[in-house]
Amino acid sequence: MAYAWQGKLEKLDNFRWKIPQSHKPGMQVPGLIYANETLLPGILNDKALEQVANVACLPGILGCSLAMPDIHWGYGFCIGGVAATDPENNGVIAPGGIGYDINCGVRLVRSNLTLNELMPKLETLVNSLFNNIPSGVGSSGDIRAGAKDEEDIFLKGAGWAVKKGYGVKEDLEFTENRGSMQGADPSIVSKRAYERGKDQSGTLGSGNHFLEIQAIDEIYDEKKADMFGLFKGQVTMMIHSGSRGLGYQICDDYVKSMAGCLNRYNINVPDRQLACAPVNSPEGRAYLASMKCAANYAWTNRQCLMHLARNVFEKVFNKSWSSLGLRLVYDVAHNIAKMEKHKIDGKEKFLCVHRKGATRAFPPGHPDIPGAYKEAGQPVIIPGDMGTFSYVLAGAAGAMEETFGSTCHGAGRRLSRSNAIKFCAGRNIDKELFNKSGIIVRAKTRGTLAEEAPEAYKNVTEIVNVVHGANLSTKVCRMRPLGVIKG
Amino acid sequence: MKSFEIIDHTADVGIKAWGTTMTELFENAARGMFAVIAKDGCNVQGSKIEKKIEIRKTVDSLEEILVSWLSELLYIFNREKTYFSDFKVKSLNNDGIEAQASGVNLDLYQSDLYTEIKAVTFHNLKIEENVDGFSCIIIFDV
Repeated sequence: MAYAWQGKLEKLDNFRWKIPQSHKPGMQVPGLIYANETLLPGILNDKALEQVANVACLPGILGCSLAMPDIHWGYGFCIGGVAATDPENNGVIAPGGIGYDINCGVRLVRSNLTLNELMPKLETLVNSLFNNIPSGVGSSGDIRAGAKDEEDIFLKGAGWAVKKGYGVKEDLEFTENRGSMQGADPSIVSKRAYERGKDQSGTLGSGNHFLEIQAIDEIYDEKKADMFGLFKGQVTMMIHSGSRGLGYQICDDYVKSMAGCLNRYNINVPDRQLACAPVNSPEGRAYLASMKCAANYAWTNRQCLMHLARNVFEKVFNKSWSSLGLRLVYDVAHNIAKMEKHKIDGKEKFLCVHRKGATRAFPPGHPDIPGAYKEAGQPVIIPGDMGTFSYVLAGAAGAMEETFGSTCHGAGRRLSRSNAIKFCAGRNIDKELFNKSGIIVRAKTRGTLAEEAPEAYKNVTEIVNVVHGANLSTKVCRMRPLGVIKG
Repeated sequence: MKSFEIIDHTADVGIKAWGTTMTELFENAARGMFAVIAKDGCNVQGSKIEKKIEIRKTVDSLEEILVSWLSELLYIFNREKTYFSDFKVKSLNNDGIEAQASGVNLDLYQSDLYTEIKAVTFHNLKIEENVDGFSCIIIFDV
């Protein structure tokens, strides 16, 4: 596929490139891409930049249509896109700017185990996690929720799980939004969405979702690592999952129903997948109230997954999870829209911030981060591919000034899924990972392994270096994978 | 003429479908979607299940009907695990679609070949008319 970006792209400095507003008619603001010279050629060969320009056409968009360095071609919005709109100025909300997997996100759990203490039991642990955590396509779980429970989950999020005994109150303290957004309205969620969410709580799902056992192998900021309870040689666990079938259905419902809003509110967008409605319209409010149900469901899901994993650790190590120190470091959403206060020309305003494949990165002192992390900034958790590293960053001042408190979300794909499968034809990815790096991988299907092979992804270290260099979030530590379970 | 082919997309999966008539385009698009779901799934054995699909809504463009048609099939597949392989569109216009789909019950979730489609997107969706008939590119979120 010999695509190459033909539009203008102005280099502003080593980390920032601008698509001028003159690139296409209808752009309300310029596009701003965070990248470096190494990542740029890959970005230019992808169709993502046109999507950045399309998003710049959304009514009420402020600042710039932003793209993080893990940008790649999506549908409607690019993956790695951030857009803030002003509800007081006809600003819109676009379900496509959040994505189908509403509140897909990651959580990081620390332990007081060291690498040396873990190694003799690693294989048993990974096998046991694989056997006890429902994963794979359409997987349904042991944590069953009845119809009444589902409503409660939509309203209370991770708090529902804690009340049921799947975790402790402290877990909520260390979850973005305390694991629950206010204003969810279960009464407007479609019957189909209810149906698809019914038995999927506490299931990992498939594709790029995973649970990974890791060890911290590099510390960049001792002070912040210490505040997050992290140290070199420490064993950690990362969980990546989202709102499963429920979120897909809610997004689908509204992308369809908002098609009519384009005429009704006289909105012109270059791509139907950018269907949207003013934040302050009945349709916009309904989407937001439904999206919150899915977001709360996703936080519940990751809380349940962590609970199941803690149980497995208890069995394997014959100790309680609390004595193993399995405490939540933080949980972040990376597909979500939030009403947030931001300063525009020195004035505080409530904006609708869309993050699609982007993570919130609030700086030190921000009121929405846990007390224990006030001085450090919000932990930002960046998963890499299954062969290389993952990172913990801390939100920095630059994010508040330039990106509406946002940063990157992961490695970002480099190869399409089918190219990845072609590229890996005849190879045994799990064996290779074990022989080369000692990483134990368990996956439900071989297809997933090839699709998710390390070569399919951009170099996460490059991505992290860009957001660090641009002061959107700064490096705290690096983890290397030991064992991975995938759907 | 080819009925469909699977095309590359960085994060997701797409198909290009063709048809000498609009109804054939819709049938081939459905075939293409189920080929994305499971590449060799069409060879499966089992007792045949017939489903009548009827979508009534008045829209501005057939693209909207196309997405609704594929979404409906996907929904039935997720709910009932019916893997469809044959499609017959009986009527199709801006007021909806009426069709017959047949397939077999299949627990593809256990299959190695399965791709989970989260949704059918509208991304750059446009039905093109040319001398041979019609074609379109559809991107699925996977």
